[in-house]
Amino acid sequence: MLYTINKSPFSTNNLESALGIAPAGAPILLYEDGVYGAVEGTRSAALIQAALSDHPVFALEADLEARGLSKVIDGVQVIDYDGFVELVEQHDVAPWL
Amino acid sequence: MSDKVAVVMRKAPYGSVYTAEGFRTIMGVAVFEMDISVVFLDDGVYAAVKGQHPEKLDMKPLGDGFPMLGDFGVKKFYVHDESLAARGLTVDDLVVPAEVVSSAEIAKIMGESGKVLPF
Repeated sequence: MLYTINKSPFSTNNLESALGIAPAGAPILLYEDGVYGAVEGTRSAALIQAALSDHPVFALEADLEARGLSKVIDGVQVIDYDGFVELVEQHDVAPWL
Repeated sequence: MSDKVAVVMRKAPYGSVYTAEGFRTIMGVAVFEMDISVVFLDDGVYAAVKGQHPEKLDMKPLGDGFPMLGDFGVKKFYVHDESLAARGLTVDDLVVPAEVVSSAEIAKIMGESGKVLPF
């Protein structure tokens, strides 16, 4: 399943919770305020850096740009809305709202 | 009771309506020429980050408004040191030259204000 996270890792534990449940290999998509989890040099960056060894991790470009975020963690794949649609077509979705 | 007002911004922009409503409230208070302090705390520091481009979300850049507030008499901006550090940011990453303050200093600013408006 595709695990989708849309909340800041600093305001909820949704990212940590989803990563705790997602089995190895399950793709992780960060969108809306979830993209703050994709930024390098933050207190939460270790969560995604660790997840990258077990999961493909994606972040939505439009949400990164909106928030002025350019320093994305190495290995996180930045995708556009078409890429988002492709992921949702390829996987059932587990939304971690 | 002091006439001072502290607006405490604690939410990230775009993911909720709080940042936009907080900004509108600051403008509204400023019109009455009250003594206003704007505090960026927790994810609220993201509201003031430079380089926001929400065009693809069909929204307006929420950071652009803060530098204009000086024209309305809003001159006191504060940002929480630990909130910046946790996010890998410095005050140079912000759209306004806020004063970097500690938790204790934020408590003091709020304590000296007659009203605290949370967003």
